[in-house]
Amino acid sequence: MEKEKIILSAKDVEIQFSLRGDRLTAIRGCSLDLYEGETLAIVGESGSGKSVFTKSFLGMLDQNGSVTGGSILFEGEDIARLKSEKDWRRIRGGKIAMVMQDPMTSLNPLKRIGQQVEESILLHQQLTPAEARKEALHMLELVGIPDAERRYSQYPHEFSGGMRQRVVIAIAVACRPRILICDEPTTALDVTIQAQILALIRDLQKKFGMTIIYITHDLGVVANVAERVAVMYAGQIIEIGTAEEIFYDPRHPYSWALLGALPQLGIKGEKLPTIEGTPPNLFNRITGDAFAPRNRQALQIDYQVEPPYFEVTSTHKAKTWLLDPRAPRVEQPDSIKRLSGRMTVDYGSARHPHEDPDRETLIQVRDMQVTFGTGRRKFVAVDHVSFEIYRGETFALVGESGSGKTTIGRAITRINPISAGEILYKGRRISGRISKELDREVIKGCQMIFQDPLASLNERAKVDYIVSEGIRNLHMYRDEAERQEMVRNALCEVGLLPEFASRFPHEFSGGQRQRIGIARALIMKPEFIVADEPISALDVSIRAQVLNLLNELKTTYGLTYLFIAHDLSVVRFIADRIAVIYKGRIVELSEAEELFRHPLHPYTKALLSAIPEPDPAVERNKDLVVYDPSVHDYTEDKPVWCEILPGHFVFGNSAELESYRAALRA
Amino acid sequence: MTDSIRSMFDEMPEQGGRIYSTEALEQMTGEPEEKLFSFAEYHPEEAERTGYSDYSYWKSVWRIFLKKKFAVAMVILFLAVFVFSFVALAIGKYQYDSLVPDNRQMFISPNGEYWFGTDNIGRDYWCQVWYATQTSIKLAAIVALGECVVGVVLGCLWGYVRKLDRFFTEIYNILYSVPTIIYMTLIALMIGRSFWIMCITLILFHWIYMAKNVRNLVFMYRDREYNLASRCLGTRLGTILSRNILPYLISVIILRLALSIPSTIGYETTLSYLGLGLDVNTPSLGILLRNSRAYFLDYPYLLIFPAAIVSIVTVAFYLAGNAFSDAADPRNHV
Repeated sequence: MEKEKIILSAKDVEIQFSLRGDRLTAIRGCSLDLYEGETLAIVGESGSGKSVFTKSFLGMLDQNGSVTGGSILFEGEDIARLKSEKDWRRIRGGKIAMVMQDPMTSLNPLKRIGQQVEESILLHQQLTPAEARKEALHMLELVGIPDAERRYSQYPHEFSGGMRQRVVIAIAVACRPRILICDEPTTALDVTIQAQILALIRDLQKKFGMTIIYITHDLGVVANVAERVAVMYAGQIIEIGTAEEIFYDPRHPYSWALLGALPQLGIKGEKLPTIEGTPPNLFNRITGDAFAPRNRQALQIDYQVEPPYFEVTSTHKAKTWLLDPRAPRVEQPDSIKRLSGRMTVDYGSARHPHEDPDRETLIQVRDMQVTFGTGRRKFVAVDHVSFEIYRGETFALVGESGSGKTTIGRAITRINPISAGEILYKGRRISGRISKELDREVIKGCQMIFQDPLASLNERAKVDYIVSEGIRNLHMYRDEAERQEMVRNALCEVGLLPEFASRFPHEFSGGQRQRIGIARALIMKPEFIVADEPISALDVSIRAQVLNLLNELKTTYGLTYLFIAHDLSVVRFIADRIAVIYKGRIVELSEAEELFRHPLHPYTKALLSAIPEPDPAVERNKDLVVYDPSVHDYTEDKPVWCEILPGHFVFGNSAELESYRAALRA
Repeated sequence: MTDSIRSMFDEMPEQGGRIYSTEALEQMTGEPEEKLFSFAEYHPEEAERTGYSDYSYWKSVWRIFLKKKFAVAMVILFLAVFVFSFVALAIGKYQYDSLVPDNRQMFISPNGEYWFGTDNIGRDYWCQVWYATQTSIKLAAIVALGECVVGVVLGCLWGYVRKLDRFFTEIYNILYSVPTIIYMTLIALMIGRSFWIMCITLILFHWIYMAKNVRNLVFMYRDREYNLASRCLGTRLGTILSRNILPYLISVIILRLALSIPSTIGYETTLSYLGLGLDVNTPSLGILLRNSRAYFLDYPYLLIFPAAIVSIVTVAFYLAGNAFSDAADPRNHV
């Protein structure tokens, strides 16, 4: 691909926001040359300024923000100087378009899908309404919406999330923009849908020769789509290079940390390398390298002088003093070196609790069914699910949104009542009506960790109250002094300072809040913890901290986890056994490595093929398997839950099971 | 590896070579090159020092409210009227309790002796007006507090306990669809008229609006993850409501409280004017207006003084309440 011509050139861009009387510098002198026809990915944690930076190309900064320095050259014009909406309208949509993260909110719910596409065509192209309609239909077909003629006159609520995102893309592409900015286009979507959307964007790029900027925090997505990668930290691009250079030969310590913290690159049973602390406060002036306080190998100079860009190759630049000839040599960490040879690492050597002949069943779920609503509006969320969880293991439940995985977790902690079947805890039934003593015991023994660190803590209560809520309810202490002691211990256990007890949750970062949530569960000295997507809402660097903590606590206290996740790659790192759930039914259950080696059910295969790997070489050559539920013919031959190999269960009818057995023999 | 890397500024001395040369760096920082390029000590506490914001909800509410000068002026105006009603009674020449009808003193316009003039039976109007102001404000405060307590308690139950939803919704429908004035007429005719009957009936028919408001909010917060966490920890319903949910509703409750005071004064005035509110011997602003209704064309001061006070109190409270609701909205806290 020809990559000589620069299509957009940002120079020393500085963007400030005024927030509650203070000025916040979100972008601190960012420069970027965008080449015609390329795909650039901008990676960074939340707050690094990646969205803000690209929004300034469209004049879509929030009311209280403005470009206060630098220039953005596009088609011979400095668009950073544009002020009026009228000027921006020349650029927005027609020349530079954007696809937002959430397909639920970027469409007008009161307008038909076709009209919305047509509208954008009419605005930017001189066409008659009839021609526009034809063009809109064509666009819908192009983005892979089947039966476009009929779908044209439907409303957004009749579309699934993935289909909506396709429509959003159709609207963005309809005006043939030169640059398409995709702001986390797949974050809100399921893994299997995500892979399809990424493939679609790539197709469209080829067809229309667009330049694409991806903004994402998911390094797997980056490896899949990007030719060039820019890493942002605290409002600056700290490293930029081709995808191969960034993934296989990163030079900035922050890039090392970011890649190293990926669970995909971790070794089971070992600690993940983490980045301590949190990104800097952008209200303050930053001297030197912004990453220095979190960098274990920072140089003295990092605290004093901001590093310039050093050129590694003609395409690869990094902003770190480590590249200065005068600096001491620092080796890249092992996890980065492992990246290419990773697949050969043997995960399967560790002993798993379920292989122990004297294993103890801690939780047993028998034929459980959970329904919502009544009568004709009844919805079966979980359909006759059975499994056992043994003491000391991490049992993972993996599925897409709406598959019922969270409902299972909540049924076990008795937040959702079940409508059929039963749940046993240490051999005793805990579903339905139970005695007071058993209730107490279950509250103490089974705890839960939640997904969203923002929503799972009471903002109006002090950490002290939040953490001691459980022991207060069950009167698990003798006097006030003992209670405080217990809170302090719980906080220390999760790596927080004891004095945090007197603060309110809003004073903490996402990772710290998640640890407060863990302390709240831990103080009860539980045996079993339901972890409901505990890391999905966290930044990459913080995920590693939380995963390490969970693993550490597991070994210290012999905890048992039910780990609910949508991301198989994370689960591979942490789980002993994995159950794959689809539309309220567990379709396959097996030991983790066995599942990765011999997936049997077509849905498991699709899920495995869709996992984004943080490795450009793997990502670019992968074949996507799409799951089509209509391959199952269950009209006569009824499916059963069958243990096809010791410890490996699969859901299928006799014909399917026969083919699975044949596949296993081969 | 390192030696193969050419630093960019070697080639561009005018851009960076000068700035980043060893001499320049040493001069900038005052430290020798060897020290600058040696490893710094790593402080884990330094890394844990977070970039958290010092945002506090109530501080922001307060700050934004104080910025609205007009609203603050309104609050001061109301307080001034309220405080002055006591001062006025103390400095007035006549005491309310010792007022006697006097035919000779009828309809005297405001003068040095009778500051607000006299009424149709020759009593001093000044002390009547200020006494009535106190009665009206007292009534409004009692009703607002009563509405608030009943409304919040029942609203919380309505929102949290799914089984009660239908029951409360039907009550709401009944109370909402029939105008209050009809209930008030019935009660005034059947039970009688007094200060406390008025208080209780107003609370009885108005708590539902507060409850509805609270119910909608409780509904919103009920299934947040932190409440699920509390349920997992075995927290009792009462504690969940009072510790987890109520603190989030405080601003809304205060707002409704502030707005219910002017509306109660308005109701009291209207009902008393129609003869359905307080009995004629309890001076309230509504009663004064009712009494003046036959004479105000000839003696407008009888209408103007109480009407002015009703207007000042209700408008001031209404404007301040609205300003508070803007300040209490976290979206405005930027």
